Amino acid sequence: MELAVNAGPRGGRPAEVERLSERPGHPAHEEKTARIGMAVFLGSWAMLFVALFFSYGIVRARTPLWPPLDQPRLPLLLPGLNTAVIGASSAAMVMAERFPGLRRRAVALTSAAALGAVFLTLQALVWTRLWREGLVPSGGPYPSVFYALTVFHALHVLVGLAALATLAVRAARGRASWIAVRLWGMYWHFVGVVWLALYAAVYVA
Amino acid sequence: MRRLRALAAGALALAARAAAADPLPETGFGIPRDASLDGHHVDDLIHFTLLAIAVIFAVALAMLIWSFARDRARPAWYTHGNARTVGAVVGAIAVIAVGVDGTLLVRTLLDLHERLWNFQGAEAQPGAIRIEVNAHQWAWTARYPSADGKFGTPDDVVTLDDIRVPVGVPVVVQLASTDVIHSLYLPNFRVKQDAVPGMINRLTFQAVKPGEYEIGCAQHCGPNHYKMRGVLTVLPPDEYRAWLDTMRADARRGYDPDDADAHWGWEWRRD
Amino acid sequence: MEEGLTVSVPAQLAAAEASQPIHPPPTSFWRKYVFSIDHKVIAVQFLWAGLVFLLVGGTLAMLIRWQWAFPGRPVPVLGGLLLGKSGGVIGPAAYQQIFTMHGLIMIFFAVTPVLIGTFGNFLIPLQIGARDMAFPKLNMYSFWTFLISQLLVIASFFTDLGTGGAGWTTYAPLSTNVGTPGTGQTLVVLAIFVTGASSTMGAINYVTTVIRLRAPGMTWMRLPLTMWGLWLTAILNALFIPVLGSAAMLLLLDRSFGTQFFVAGASAVRGGGDPILYQHLFWIFGHPEVYIMILPAWGILGDVFSFFSRKPHHWYRGSVGAMIAVTVLSALVYGHHMFVTGMSPLLGEGFMVFTLLISIPSMIVVVNWVMTILGGRIRFHTPMLFAIGTMILFGIGGLTGLFLGDISMDLYLHDTLFVVGHFHFTMAAGSFVGAMTGLYFWFPKIFGKRLDERLGKIHFWVTFLGLLLVFLGQMTAGYEGQQRRLFDPYQYTFIQRLHGLNLATSIAAFLLFAGQMVFVWNFFRTVFGKGKAAGPNPWEVTTLEWTDAPSPPPFHNFDRIPYVLRGPHEFGNPEVLKRTGRDWVGQTEALPGGDMAGDPALSSGKA
Repeated sequence: MELAVNAGPRGGRPAEVERLSERPGHPAHEEKTARIGMAVFLGSWAMLFVALFFSYGIVRARTPLWPPLDQPRLPLLLPGLNTAVIGASSAAMVMAERFPGLRRRAVALTSAAALGAVFLTLQALVWTRLWREGLVPSGGPYPSVFYALTVFHALHVLVGLAALATLAVRAARGRASWIAVRLWGMYWHFVGVVWLALYAAVYVA
Repeated sequence: MRRLRALAAGALALAARAAAADPLPETGFGIPRDASLDGHHVDDLIHFTLLAIAVIFAVALAMLIWSFARDRARPAWYTHGNARTVGAVVGAIAVIAVGVDGTLLVRTLLDLHERLWNFQGAEAQPGAIRIEVNAHQWAWTARYPSADGKFGTPDDVVTLDDIRVPVGVPVVVQLASTDVIHSLYLPNFRVKQDAVPGMINRLTFQAVKPGEYEIGCAQHCGPNHYKMRGVLTVLPPDEYRAWLDTMRADARRGYDPDDADAHWGWEWRRD
Repeated sequence: MEEGLTVSVPAQLAAAEASQPIHPPPTSFWRKYVFSIDHKVIAVQFLWAGLVFLLVGGTLAMLIRWQWAFPGRPVPVLGGLLLGKSGGVIGPAAYQQIFTMHGLIMIFFAVTPVLIGTFGNFLIPLQIGARDMAFPKLNMYSFWTFLISQLLVIASFFTDLGTGGAGWTTYAPLSTNVGTPGTGQTLVVLAIFVTGASSTMGAINYVTTVIRLRAPGMTWMRLPLTMWGLWLTAILNALFIPVLGSAAMLLLLDRSFGTQFFVAGASAVRGGGDPILYQHLFWIFGHPEVYIMILPAWGILGDVFSFFSRKPHHWYRGSVGAMIAVTVLSALVYGHHMFVTGMSPLLGEGFMVFTLLISIPSMIVVVNWVMTILGGRIRFHTPMLFAIGTMILFGIGGLTGLFLGDISMDLYLHDTLFVVGHFHFTMAAGSFVGAMTGLYFWFPKIFGKRLDERLGKIHFWVTFLGLLLVFLGQMTAGYEGQQRRLFDPYQYTFIQRLHGLNLATSIAAFLLFAGQMVFVWNFFRTVFGKGKAAGPNPWEVTTLEWTDAPSPPPFHNFDRIPYVLRGPHEFGNPEVLKRTGRDWVGQTEALPGGDMAGDPALSSGKA
């Protein structure tokens, strides 16, 4: 892969490199570097969630009755719906990564962001309902674990949502960065996978 | 005759009620004196390991000094390492691994299973003493069961910073805490165990000679961690019985069924 | 570039140049020295930040020593400044804050920024032949995040109840509101979380840069051992700092939002949490953390021993494999800090087995050093003296780990000064003196000047003998039963005989601290004054930062990305001597007279 040595205008990326990064399946040098960086970043966050799930496991193993008899029950329907929502959002993200055209990419990104917002709204509904039923963080280890895991995950959704919204606006204005979409795609799928684990371990089990 | 016996009983009771005497200070530069049945296992391992690492260190140091003293005009030995040198390294480390690490592993597994952590074996022996200890900021409260071995009765003897045990029988301690983590440490018996809120941990030892020894706290538990000192008194069996009887009588007299704080004992945990 | 032989050398170099274009250096003061994205500037920023806090941490240690030597007496000078309310006397509450912050500051805010922040940032791009890190802006953010965490630590001292006092280990429930109320402890926990974020950012950079930006010809087996040490450290950082983050986060939730993760006992609600959970999370981070702190030093030592013995490192692959093994095993041994917590005996014995196992690769690393020095033509410059000192002191520390990894002996030695002596030999001596080795060695490259050799050697002897006396004394006190973290040890009758020993080691500690002023004087005088100019390669060694860049390197590091021909330890080769008249050949140096038999450059890609 011979590349011209001269840098682009004002030291930016040469034109050939810029063009190359538009070809899926042949990532440019920088993109591969960025993806590895993102992979390490996600590895770190994954370890944080693993530690939280580990804590959940230990707290649960020590409690004789789980869920405790006097604590409100966790709903299954709304969170289940959220699983579908976040799945659809990830699917929209995949489409955004694949579409070559800027306008369709903008639409896909907006859908992914919107679905993320729906997720957060439904999650907020679950929280308000449980709070009114008396499930508060200071009520013992059971609500502590529930709120810590779900709030922490929701914060990650919020960050991703902000990023996707920004990318959607940029794509609509014609200035999308192909690499950024792919990188935030990695992040968004990661958040979705964590949700699956959370839903299975906290709501269902 | 009866008056003499009464006098003798009174004197013994007075002596028994007396505060625990101070332990004798340690002397010299060695490990604290060993008053326990099983402590020497720990000491033997420590001294074996000390000898082993002294030898390893001396050999390595000798090789280094030989290199430093070498004539600097001579060119260096050029090698990235060949089969012989790598083999020597691997061989030496294998000898250390098997000889030192291996010995440590085997001896420790035996020591733990047969003695140091053999709580069931200790409790099974006739005459074994059971004590519940509640560690709190910043003192040790100990509880002895009633004559029929139950905790939480009006006959319970509760002491502060003062644990007395008879010589020659196993003592099993169940350990808890209500505030932060403390650690019951008996330097003269080579044992230590954390007292963790929400858990009941166990400790066992057996004294071989009478005397007074120190109880220390070995886990930082707040500003007065340094003051959390108690005294472990090892008594001949008859003195121990006399002391316990006197204390039981006091406990019965002073029992208050409404004082919930005083009834901190728990049912003895069995595996 | 991974393409290897299938792409021509000029093509590889062209591709490397294209992906790392030369940018013009910044001109404004702010962009040059403050908000710089230049890895070399960021490295020096970490150095200053770390050295300042090293001084703070050392002062706190002197306060501890004062209390042991002269309990109850007012501290001179500092007593009036810091302990005004008590007339200059250290009380129990102040004492626990002093030892807590001594530990935290030394580990997170002094040694880590110097050993990992400075050397990682400065050396990684240079030694692999790159122009900067993979993510220069992220690099800058990692420094400023670190600075914020240092400010949080400073802020914690000015709260009503003072700073944290639950030990550097911050065990719950003592570290919850039950044991240590007040904003100070909360700020300390927050500071730990923030510095963890900084370390993670750095780790992302280090890991990615070494994978992606190595110059053509720089295969994994040709990397300097310093690079291996820093790269493996970064992997451990990336994986295990988040676990500390989770412990800190849950603790903050317990302190500020009433949750019940770690609260137990009388203040528990509905059964409460598990204090031992905190210890699991903490030590799953904590044990890899000690390897995080030593791996860079191991790497530096490996290279320095080869450089100053003028012969190749013995069994390079063995050391690399051993360092990788230690990295992999590091999280599996963490339970040896928890032998007396009441965990199941089977679990404890499992941890003991792994702890004994991890001693094997550690021994390989150390024995390989001895074999590297053996038969060498040794140059006793200051970096080599410090390296030898590090090796001896770390060796003692490592060997004493055997006592603590064994459950029987640990039952007696746990939480005594024996443990404190052990980790000071490995960390203070290993990491700190190792950092000094690196500092003396790379100072000419970083600052373009030479430190005074004589002052350096004085600094070495004071430090080496001082550390030896202080911590052998401490281990003896621990062997004789003295617990750690005692405000007044002599409340215990069995410790009263140790007053003389503790006084003697305290005096040695005061002298050790005073001796560091030799370094401070040497450092400041050279950096800000007129030091002797350093050439590009005063040590006559082989790695890229010495052979292909001036001292100090320009903004873009290399005028041309170099092509690497061989490993970093080609010293003492008789064939090289014949052809060049020197006892060394650089990594990128093309030898006159064509390839030689047995030259690593001949067999492509193998060291």
